[in-house]
Amino acid sequence: MYRRIFYIVLYIGILLTACEAERTDMHSPRENFEALWKIMDEYYCFFDYKQIDWQEVYDRYSPQVHESMDQYELFDLLGKMLEELKDGHTNLISSFNTSRYWAWYEDYPANFSSDILNNYLGKSNEYKQVGGIKYRTLDEGRIGYIYYGSFATGIGDSQLDDIFDYFKACHGLIIDIRDNGGGTLSNSDRIASRFPDEKTLVGYIQHKTGRGHARFSDPYPIYLLPSERIHWTRPVVVLTNRRCYSAANNFVQKMSRMSQATILGDRTGGGSGFPFHSELPNGWSIRFSASPMLNEKKEHTEFGIDPDIHVSLTTEDSMKGRDTLIERAIHFLRLSE
Amino acid sequence: MNRHLLILFLCCLVLPLQAQSDKGGEPWSVNEATLIGAGGYRLKDTYLTPGKEVDYAGWGLRILNERMKMVRWADYRFSRQQILNIDVAKTDNPAESATDFAGFIDYSLGYHYHLYPLHNLKILTGASARGMAGFIYNTRNGNNPASAKVDIDLNLSLLAIYHTRLRNYPFTLRYQLELPVGGLMFSPHFGQSYYEIFNLKNYDGIVRFNSFHNKFAIKNYLTVDFSTKAFTVRAGYLYNYYYTDVNDIQTHIQSHSFMIGVVKEFISFGGKRLKEKERYRSAYY
Repeated sequence: MYRRIFYIVLYIGILLTACEAERTDMHSPRENFEALWKIMDEYYCFFDYKQIDWQEVYDRYSPQVHESMDQYELFDLLGKMLEELKDGHTNLISSFNTSRYWAWYEDYPANFSSDILNNYLGKSNEYKQVGGIKYRTLDEGRIGYIYYGSFATGIGDSQLDDIFDYFKACHGLIIDIRDNGGGTLSNSDRIASRFPDEKTLVGYIQHKTGRGHARFSDPYPIYLLPSERIHWTRPVVVLTNRRCYSAANNFVQKMSRMSQATILGDRTGGGSGFPFHSELPNGWSIRFSASPMLNEKKEHTEFGIDPDIHVSLTTEDSMKGRDTLIERAIHFLRLSE
Repeated sequence: MNRHLLILFLCCLVLPLQAQSDKGGEPWSVNEATLIGAGGYRLKDTYLTPGKEVDYAGWGLRILNERMKMVRWADYRFSRQQILNIDVAKTDNPAESATDFAGFIDYSLGYHYHLYPLHNLKILTGASARGMAGFIYNTRNGNNPASAKVDIDLNLSLLAIYHTRLRNYPFTLRYQLELPVGGLMFSPHFGQSYYEIFNLKNYDGIVRFNSFHNKFAIKNYLTVDFSTKAFTVRAGYLYNYYYTDVNDIQTHIQSHSFMIGVVKEFISFGGKRLKEKERYRSAYY
């Protein structure tokens, strides 16, 4: 009997050995460098579009990796390597820092001032706020104005109904998404669906089908369906600047397909790659563009979308506390009344 | 025609459920055990960590209910086994900078043919159908935060049940092996987001056939039953290994659970037998 028990215990022991841990030196700079380069090599989606020779990047950065680097030096080097991608959706995230590429807006005029915006919104009791949206009427109640600063802050259908109901006497609407760095695509869809009168093709999405840089699925069409709730059929102007990124860029793409919509302001910042996360052996997190979203012509919008009417915030208007873009939008809507 | 097919289908469903024997008039009983367990879990899923298999390790809890009874096929040489299992786990990456939570529910229905090579040894061979649904959720990830698992498969199933004594104290040992041979499972494509699948409704190719070319799973279940004054106790060890490599997405789910629970043997009355009121005393009827 004891022999039988011995065999049982031995068998369990054999089973347990089947789960031997993968042995890695998770803090090795070389190992983390190689892991990051490989993750991007296999999953990043814009190598061909941006004409980036990732192998050449490897050859340039690999000699700079040495085992005596501390974690801060390694982080800076890896962050610099990621900057080569010129991608605002690509970040290396550690417990002490987040690498980021922000040249898509830092190298351009802001065309937005929150101080000047306050001249239009007024004091806190002069505008309404629901979810992430601030709204009021302008031009003596003839034009509705919405400021939406982040698609990460939610907005519900009932809230949108109330907003559009509040604007029912207005003949035009301004949706100001300047400095909106993105957020959740479903918020973009929810607002944009108030504008089409029929099912509308607004773009395409692709995903990688394998590790090769050019391995993508066929573009899959994205349609915007009209909401079954309150619709806005009158003219609408969407205000944009270079800080409109990711879901905000996506919103502009959708609105550009609406017949009553006009995009006014500066080119958007882009960010059309749907980002994924992964991680390095040392636990640092990496976010990167994984799945490209295209416009209705199957073109990339990773580097932004041009407005229909290009307007910049002038120094003269700034000095007077006037927002050139809002003023032009009001003027445009008056003409279309 | 359709009505005949429906009747035939209902008969197929009902016949295996009629487990009471006419043999000698003694009904066949149901062996039921409910066990809880705890143990180590290891999870790797390259949908959550693209490009790098990261070993998330931690602990999990499990509850398992098992029922076995003889069915009338082949003159009562077949038994039916049903196992319902629910398990949850919390695991961390080696750097402890991220956490995977996981939860699974699976149900298997198996039929086994009984062989008796020795007077105190039963070998049960057969097959089981299993359905599993679950998820692994990573607390850090934004657009790929979860990996959903939905899997149905057909398994080879083998049990050995051995009755023995240790210093005149009776034990029943059981070893069970389950090995899936083929089925269907859900899987996104290599770099496909759930947003594309579920929000944009691109369902093309997300249900994949699986077999040994892209999946290897094994379940080893070892138990010992012994009686105390008040209960029959079942203690066990369950090793579960589940590996898939579909659309170049690799998943490893590995668990070791040490189980403990109680067994009861009962006779199930239902249908016509409920009318034979002299055979039981009900609190309800």
